[in-house]
Amino acid sequence: MTTAVTSRPEEARRSRVNPKVLAGGLAVALPLLAVLVANLGRDPRSVRSPLIGRPAPAFSLVPVGGGAPVSLEKLSGKPVVINFWATWCVPCFEEHAALTAAARGLPDVQFLGVVYEDEEARTQEFLRQRPSAYPSLIDPEGKAAIAYGVFGVPETFFIDGSGRIVDKYVGPMTRSTIAALVARAKEGAR
Amino acid sequence: MVPILGRILILMALLAASAGALVGFATGMRPNAAGWKWARRLAYAFAAFMVLANLTMEYALLTHDFSVSYVAHVGSRSVPTWVSIVSLWSSLEGSILFWGLVMGLYIAVATWRNADKHPEYMPYAVGVWLACGAFFSFLLAGPAQPFATVLNPAMDGPGPNPLLQNHYLMVIHPPFLYSGYVGMTIPFGLACAALLVGRLGNDFIRPLRNFLLFSWIFLTCAIVLGGWWAYEVLGWGGYWAWDPVENASFLPWLTATAALHSALLVERKGVLKGWTTILVLATYLLTILGTFMTRSGVFNSVHSFTQSAIGPTILVFLAAALLFSLVLLALRVDSLGTEGHLETGPSRDVMFLVQNLLFVLFTFTVLLGTVFPLIVEAVRGVQMSVGRPYFDRMSVPVGVALLFVMGVGPALPWGRATAQQMRSALLPPLLSAVLLAVVGLLLGVRNAWTLLALLFGGFTAQVTLSEMFLPVRQRMRSHGEGFVEAFRQAQLRGRRRFGAYVTHAGAILAIASIAVSSTMGSSKEVQLKQGETATLGAYSLTFVNAERVAEPHRESVLARVDISKNGRSLGALYPRMNQYENQREPIGTPAVRSSLTEDLYLSIHNIDSDSVGLLVLINPMVSWIWIATAIMALGGLVALVPSMRRMAVTASPPVPTAPVAIEGSR
Amino acid sequence: MTPVAFALASILAIASGGQQIPPGSAPAAGIGAPKGPQLSGPELDKRTDDIGALLRCPVCQGLSVADSPATMARNMKAEVREKLAKGYDQEQILAYFERSYGEFVRLQPPMRGVNWLVWFGPVAALIAGGAVIAWAMRRSPHQPAAAGGRQDALAAPAASDLPSRDSVPTDPKLAAAVRRVRMLAYGWPQGVSPKAGS
Repeated sequence: MTTAVTSRPEEARRSRVNPKVLAGGLAVALPLLAVLVANLGRDPRSVRSPLIGRPAPAFSLVPVGGGAPVSLEKLSGKPVVINFWATWCVPCFEEHAALTAAARGLPDVQFLGVVYEDEEARTQEFLRQRPSAYPSLIDPEGKAAIAYGVFGVPETFFIDGSGRIVDKYVGPMTRSTIAALVARAKEGAR
Repeated sequence: MVPILGRILILMALLAASAGALVGFATGMRPNAAGWKWARRLAYAFAAFMVLANLTMEYALLTHDFSVSYVAHVGSRSVPTWVSIVSLWSSLEGSILFWGLVMGLYIAVATWRNADKHPEYMPYAVGVWLACGAFFSFLLAGPAQPFATVLNPAMDGPGPNPLLQNHYLMVIHPPFLYSGYVGMTIPFGLACAALLVGRLGNDFIRPLRNFLLFSWIFLTCAIVLGGWWAYEVLGWGGYWAWDPVENASFLPWLTATAALHSALLVERKGVLKGWTTILVLATYLLTILGTFMTRSGVFNSVHSFTQSAIGPTILVFLAAALLFSLVLLALRVDSLGTEGHLETGPSRDVMFLVQNLLFVLFTFTVLLGTVFPLIVEAVRGVQMSVGRPYFDRMSVPVGVALLFVMGVGPALPWGRATAQQMRSALLPPLLSAVLLAVVGLLLGVRNAWTLLALLFGGFTAQVTLSEMFLPVRQRMRSHGEGFVEAFRQAQLRGRRRFGAYVTHAGAILAIASIAVSSTMGSSKEVQLKQGETATLGAYSLTFVNAERVAEPHRESVLARVDISKNGRSLGALYPRMNQYENQREPIGTPAVRSSLTEDLYLSIHNIDSDSVGLLVLINPMVSWIWIATAIMALGGLVALVPSMRRMAVTASPPVPTAPVAIEGSR
Repeated sequence: MTPVAFALASILAIASGGQQIPPGSAPAAGIGAPKGPQLSGPELDKRTDDIGALLRCPVCQGLSVADSPATMARNMKAEVREKLAKGYDQEQILAYFERSYGEFVRLQPPMRGVNWLVWFGPVAALIAGGAVIAWAMRRSPHQPAAAGGRQDALAAPAASDLPSRDSVPTDPKLAAAVRRVRMLAYGWPQGVSPKAGS
């Protein structure tokens, strides 16, 4: 048992604040806490596309089942909707009907599908069973996916008449979503 | 029944911890025997409730009781029993429950061991510990409730993440990690107690240092086990990717190592008391930051759990703990006092300061890099990455500098060294330095940093071995004992010093192995048809066939690859591709053939019945990294065992520490 | 150190209007004409790996394009290889991927905007830390115990309680031993203090 037991409340009152420690500590702690709080709710996996508002990357791809290559330049003047999809992607299957219906209902808009990391045979079989109203293009070596900054499927790009990307939508879409975003593409980005 | 029992146990733990914290602080302010007795009892009660809660969860997991929400989340009837057991710590709420278990056990042991010692400090320490315990109990009772009742329990569950079922390391890594991580709570409480009491004497620095060292050993092993897991299981061929969660475990390790060294100066010279407490507090705060990083879902990491209310709750605790620590430090750090002084000239003292600076710099760099993407997003609104290339570039100079200081420091004497002493201390090890560097050059090392690491490594190795056996040599000279007897006697008296140098030896080996394995490896991607052979270095690899293996929870394709080196057959390796039921992408398991010189590492990129795409790597000296870590842990264990002389000193009446500290060492 | 750097960084960010700095200063049509030599053979393999290690695989957790087995990563690596063979240099190739994926895809922060903080912060911390140590060392080495410090009964007693550093016992053998200890512990030649008194 130690004998040096002095009364503590007096000691506490005599203590002064060490300004260097307090200032230094707060200088590290407050910015750190501020940054963490500011980022709460942030989803680190959703990355915003830098292509919005910029010209859509050019491509020239062959449709599934063969045929003449479809190139983006030839479609200038019309709004274009490019939908990246794959047969193994369940949400793509869900939005397939919506896209097909939208394509039929909007003849002045060119819809295009681009197949992402899939086999041509499987894609042909899929489209045979569920016909689409617009061509789907094969993207060998994923070059178009890389050029458009695709993280996964489904991702859909809305391009206006002057070839500028107006919107990028990640995830399966409904008819109303497609209609709304097509309307924005028709207005064009200013 | 089980969910309700679990919830009750957690509530009881929360009550015990809250009451105990209050009693502890009150007893600290007005010391009395009854208060201390109750504080202890409440600490033991908290531990008991946590143990029971964990046992209840294990029971629920093993009996597949899907009415418990956590079991419904990670339980499954189709996984092996060992997977059911380790599911306790495989997912978010369960891992917090496990945290509570480890914390309870630590608090109980720390309280029991100090039940009749340090009466001024201990109530405060128990108060702080139980306050932390109360927070985690609150987390379990509220946002992270694992025992919620599922109203219509399913017949089966999804099982834990398949990546966690791939390897037995899942059994060892999390318990080791938690034993290290959570264990830092104990030194935190002790340091807060020292600040609250207003002094830090040599009698109290000892338990502080011991508990810090004990947790440090586990944390060191856990970090490297994590690296081994990444290496053996993930298949990209490396062992450390500077993922935010990896960094979360590394940051407290750095400050804890700095604190261990700084504590030595506190004991020896009575200096740096305030700095040591700052480091110990920082270590604990970094563990809380680390757990926030892992569980908040804010950081982009392979370990990340999904976002929930747990993140903000932990952030609030972090803020509170930070503020508490800062205010406590600002008010009390000066009252800790200084009893000695540090030498200003070239001496071991200054090297200690340099080493502390390097560790803190390393901590700052890793923390900055990890948090930086969040800073940029908040300031510029742009998402960016700070990845492996950045961290590798930053950590290599610091690691090499630490290697240098690890050699020069112990070589120099404690007091101000004369020029002659410096020459006799620093010149002889240059021999080993040059020798090792030349060996490296001859073996083909051309990378400048690796050569520098070998140069400093040789220097430091000679210094470390020389210092390790210095007491032995001195005893042989002065007492005329033979080597074995002198060694035994030196061990009885100076185990801590010896253990420290063993750990240093392990650290040198680790740094050198990391340097060599990072820069001297080779790799190749090959596409092989059945019967085809590829070569890399001296190895020839032949793809023989692909075989399907069906297990209850997964279907795998094994590729049989026959290996031969320099024409001599070495058998076959079986890298595999596993398809788990509820995952789209198959997950590969690499096959590694380890030897002391190098590892042959095979990982499948794609496979079908007649061809396989393989990634082939030759990674030199990787086995030495694991061996080096074991040596570091062993050194720590040796240092923990109290030496005879120390025990004799504490039993006898107080003596001035200055002569005692000289222990026959320089 | 950190507070100053952070303050400067914040001022810089605010001053630049917080605007989205366009990734690279590449012309809108692309990344310009190839600037470097066209590579082939083992040099091409090595450079592909080097640049692959600087690109983040978009569909993985923190892995680089060089390390990742994912199809997307392999496609990106093939794209890197193709561009290297055509003669584009490292900065152009990184800018190409940055156009589609954003700064996120670069594993090593490029030097722009606030990013200098992450590159120079550690250096500034090192200099600041060194300065703190140097300043602390410059203070008088014989610092008496701080006024508020109290001595623990079991800890080292106050300096005045210990025998003076220069006194030696009367017994000659013991005196020699004490001098030798002082020589080893304090570095004093012949075990005699270089200053009079302590």
